[in-house]
Amino acid sequence: MTVSLTIENLSAHYGQTQVLKDLSISVKAGELVSLLGSSGCGKTTTLRIVAGFLAPTAGHVRLGDRDLTTLPAHARDIGLVFQNYALFPHLTVQENVAFGLKQRGISSADRARRATAMLERVGLAQLADRLPGALSGGQKQRVALARALVIEPPLLMFDEPLSNLDAKLRVDMRVEIRQLQKANGTTSLYVTHDQEEAFSISDRVAIMNAGRIMQLDTPEVLYQKPANAFVARFVGFENLIPMKTIARDGAIVTAEAAGGAKLHLSQDLFGPIKDDFVLATRPDGLVVRGQGEGIPATLGTRTYLGRAYQYKCETAAGEITANGALSEMFEPGAKAVLVPLPEQCCILDPENRDTTSRPD
Amino acid sequence: MNKFAKWGLTLPATIAVTLLLVVPVLITIATTFGESKGIFSTYTAFFNSGFRTGILYRTLRIALITTAISLVIGFLTAYVIAQMPGRLKSIAIIAAVFPLLTGVVVRSFAWLIILGKNGILNSSLISLGIISEPLSMLYTEGSVIVAMVYLFVPLMILTLTGVLEGIPRDVVEASASLGAKPIATFFQVILPLAVPGLIVGAVLVFTGSFTSYATPQLLGGEQMMMMGTLLYQRAMVTFDWVGASTIAAIMVVITIAVVSIMSRIARRLNPMAV
Repeated sequence: MTVSLTIENLSAHYGQTQVLKDLSISVKAGELVSLLGSSGCGKTTTLRIVAGFLAPTAGHVRLGDRDLTTLPAHARDIGLVFQNYALFPHLTVQENVAFGLKQRGISSADRARRATAMLERVGLAQLADRLPGALSGGQKQRVALARALVIEPPLLMFDEPLSNLDAKLRVDMRVEIRQLQKANGTTSLYVTHDQEEAFSISDRVAIMNAGRIMQLDTPEVLYQKPANAFVARFVGFENLIPMKTIARDGAIVTAEAAGGAKLHLSQDLFGPIKDDFVLATRPDGLVVRGQGEGIPATLGTRTYLGRAYQYKCETAAGEITANGALSEMFEPGAKAVLVPLPEQCCILDPENRDTTSRPD
Repeated sequence: MNKFAKWGLTLPATIAVTLLLVVPVLITIATTFGESKGIFSTYTAFFNSGFRTGILYRTLRIALITTAISLVIGFLTAYVIAQMPGRLKSIAIIAAVFPLLTGVVVRSFAWLIILGKNGILNSSLISLGIISEPLSMLYTEGSVIVAMVYLFVPLMILTLTGVLEGIPRDVVEASASLGAKPIATFFQVILPLAVPGLIVGAVLVFTGSFTSYATPQLLGGEQMMMMGTLLYQRAMVTFDWVGASTIAAIMVVITIAVVSIMSRIARRLNPMAV
């Protein structure tokens, strides 16, 4: 049974503070969508509203053709994996996994069979009789996962499930979660603040800020073509350089940065370029050279990255971080030119304080 | 911390407890076995006296009923308090504990005034026309139980509030997300996790009410004697010290037995409990 999750125009308040602002997301049947953002962006609030632990001040939550908005949490049929595992400390691993089945009135023989089968799938059958207190963090999270999966919910939700695990286990577990989710084809909503985790596990990622979705797209699009300055910064476009178009010649646009540095940009590559725009690059997309067409800069601190040298650069357009080849090392204070690599740049609208979510 | 410091620091307390508690208790109990009529003669005398065993059963009954009522009232109150937001919670806890600021005698005495022949309760009922003659409510098991529940509920509330607050919110939410209705969550998650607190509370209330003296003295009188008042009478009125020691020994044994039965029940309900 795969169904879609639709969140429509959700608003939520804590007292006077609005924490979600007209938020809409739709998760397709069988898809895993992550909500990614720093703490306080509203991602956990969204999950808690979908789970039924919080009531929204406006908006609707639909799962397939069921409207969940006013249903109590226990009637929603959602599998939930918590950050702190939230296992029942007084029940054995087996009883923890069977708990949801028991609530559904399934006979004890069936419960035992299904719980055991699920524990086998997560590789913990041999620990069935232990209490959660005797398990490691990774084992606890596997039990939590088994407990959420065994009820065969139409929707699975994860609230930062890996943030209490160590780095290596985190990588293993996210692969495991993804495999189980894909194998079952369960529609999933995954909340995390870890970009790598979100990008590696998700079909699509919603980057959130201040109660809104800044962009909802596949990891590839988010990484290469952020839609706005917030997302660009979030995915590592450290340099946002405001530019003005001064001449157009067919597909080629000549633009000027503060201080008069001129660049030629092709609309064949970037799409239509407006008169005022922002050129966004990662440090890798801006190469420090002795000469060439680029932005003149005075080099500052140099750090060795292994694959390149990274320089803090002073330019008329502000401080910029750029990388230079290992074969051509510059000393601090040297004059150089920062040459953008067009295929690693993107073009954004000038920063707009009131950035609204992009239609999906 | 080195080994000497670790043991040395507990030494003063150990000496005090040994000299002032363990040794006197052992001496007291030893005297009960020293009678010329036989080692267990004082105990056979106790259990052959219908009067005295009657007092023992009454004491057990009153203590168990008091414990049960205090558990229910205390748990419900603590459950509500644990859900309250911070400020309100502190006020509620202070209100619950407020009676503990006055002494046991004063609080028991208050019930004399409420339950007496011409007390507040009787005069109210008569004014309301519900009864025409004052009820005799004092010097009954009921009056003793009412006063003891009033005495011990604050302790129960304090113990249970702490335990209920310690149950993580996400465990309760996990239960709901797995389809457990609130009543199922209560019986399958909250109650078992509160068992350690229920046991601590029950032990406190049971030992307190089983050994109580002032309350049965004031509200039970001669008719409703309990083990505590019987012991006092044997020791201070009839100066039968061996008989008093026998009563004390029986009380110690019963208290230990009840406490261990309770913790066994706790272990069955919740394997994590003590």
